[in-house]
Amino acid sequence: MNYDLNKESPRIMWIDLNSAFAMAEQQAKPSLRNRPMGVTNRLSKECCVIAASYEAKALGIKVGVRRSEAMALCPDFVMIETDPPKYHHVYKKLAAIMKTYSPKVKMKSIDEGIIDFRGMDKTYTTQRLIEIGYEIKARVKEEIGDYTKINVGIGPNRFLAKTAAGLHKPDGLDVIDYKNLLQVYESLELQDLNGIADGYGSRLRSFKIDTPIKFLQAPEDLLRKQVFKSINGLHWHKRLRGYEVDDFETSLGMVGRQWVVKNPSSDEDYLRSCLHFLTETTGKKLRFRNVEARGVAVWLAFQSGEVFSDKRMYRTGVHTDADIWLRISKIFDRRPKHMSVRTMGLYLYKLEPSSRSQIGLFHNTEKDQHITTAVDEINDRYGMFSVHSGDSLEGTKHVKQKIPFGGTEYFDLLLNRQ
Amino acid sequence: MDPTQIINQRVEVAVFYRKDCDVSMLAYPVKMKYKNQEIKFTRLGLRHETAKGKRMIHVFDVTDDVNDYRLEFDAQGLTWTLVSMIPGVNL
Repeated sequence: MNYDLNKESPRIMWIDLNSAFAMAEQQAKPSLRNRPMGVTNRLSKECCVIAASYEAKALGIKVGVRRSEAMALCPDFVMIETDPPKYHHVYKKLAAIMKTYSPKVKMKSIDEGIIDFRGMDKTYTTQRLIEIGYEIKARVKEEIGDYTKINVGIGPNRFLAKTAAGLHKPDGLDVIDYKNLLQVYESLELQDLNGIADGYGSRLRSFKIDTPIKFLQAPEDLLRKQVFKSINGLHWHKRLRGYEVDDFETSLGMVGRQWVVKNPSSDEDYLRSCLHFLTETTGKKLRFRNVEARGVAVWLAFQSGEVFSDKRMYRTGVHTDADIWLRISKIFDRRPKHMSVRTMGLYLYKLEPSSRSQIGLFHNTEKDQHITTAVDEINDRYGMFSVHSGDSLEGTKHVKQKIPFGGTEYFDLLLNRQ
Repeated sequence: MDPTQIINQRVEVAVFYRKDCDVSMLAYPVKMKYKNQEIKFTRLGLRHETAKGKRMIHVFDVTDDVNDYRLEFDAQGLTWTLVSMIPGVNL
């Protein structure tokens, strides 16, 4: 059967530092090596594992497992709190190594990224890329630490390169191209494919597509018009064949912050202060991206299992902490006040380029902008939250800095301002 | 569960400076005096930097093959602090 596979040389290299946080801790602390251990944002009775070591994963302790469950599976399980600057260091070292091989390097998240060799000299053959992959592995051990292992995947597009990087964890190097593509798909389950989770998985199975090979064999029309009912069907048809469809930048849709309340409570002052603190960290993200938000939203999950959420869109955008809080607090005040809050969050949406340089027609916004800029500069110099609103004082004692998953754009903001 | 013991005490540290190697190994603590005992470090697990405001802090995670220690060097105040340790025997 002719699958119309992409027969170009594989030129995308995916580098994946698996179990990154756990491995960074094991690198730093030799007594934790070769042991089931994990890290969590804040140690508490029911905290979750946010990264587990390979030894822990082998026992079934994966990301999201609660502390009590982990201890039941392995009484010797060690859980420690995250140390963001350490992970930032490892990330920076890894990115620096990768950038010595190509001008086109894109970090996809804190622990993985791609090196794009397309358009480079023809001497970058598959064999040469394999050599580079092993060289990067050696450099990681030398420049980051001897315990640190990475997975390397090489493929004609991002999807296949990432798939290759996942074939032999934790220290693999694999190539997928048109020659071995079918063989690799035969060895995988449908939901082993990156991007196919429960939702897409059940949708595909309802069309009797229950293996990667059957997914590959599915006609483009079927995928586009019936299975995915969108352009996604066409993208999957191309992606599976090794054609690049994922080389694009996504636009910023929203910024926000959520927090599992340290001591679930209905106490007005405590909750208000913590939410105000979250608002100020979100405001910093907003200004860091040089945008302002017209939409504000607040959501609360209560101990009873019920949820409150509300949002509001305004005609004008805001970017100062004071203005954002004014809008957020109005929504917060509408919550059912007698209920104990377990998790809280807020997000700002409908983001637009900042109009900070414009002069307001009805009131002087210049002063507010100058104060906000001055406070940001003071906090840059003397540490995050050296100056903040009095209302968020209680919140600064309880809410901990969060590890930025999924993106690396806030690292400089969040990690350099402690 | 979490075996980390918080200490946060200033300590005396002897540091070895190399002439030429990767920046992660250019300088590292070789021993420290803590509770009137001299503790010799056998390995450097990881060195990374962080900041407290504009003050640069170099963090050294070291081991004496029994316990793991986290030492912080304040590059502005020129002080060494033993921040925490993980006693190996408890693991």
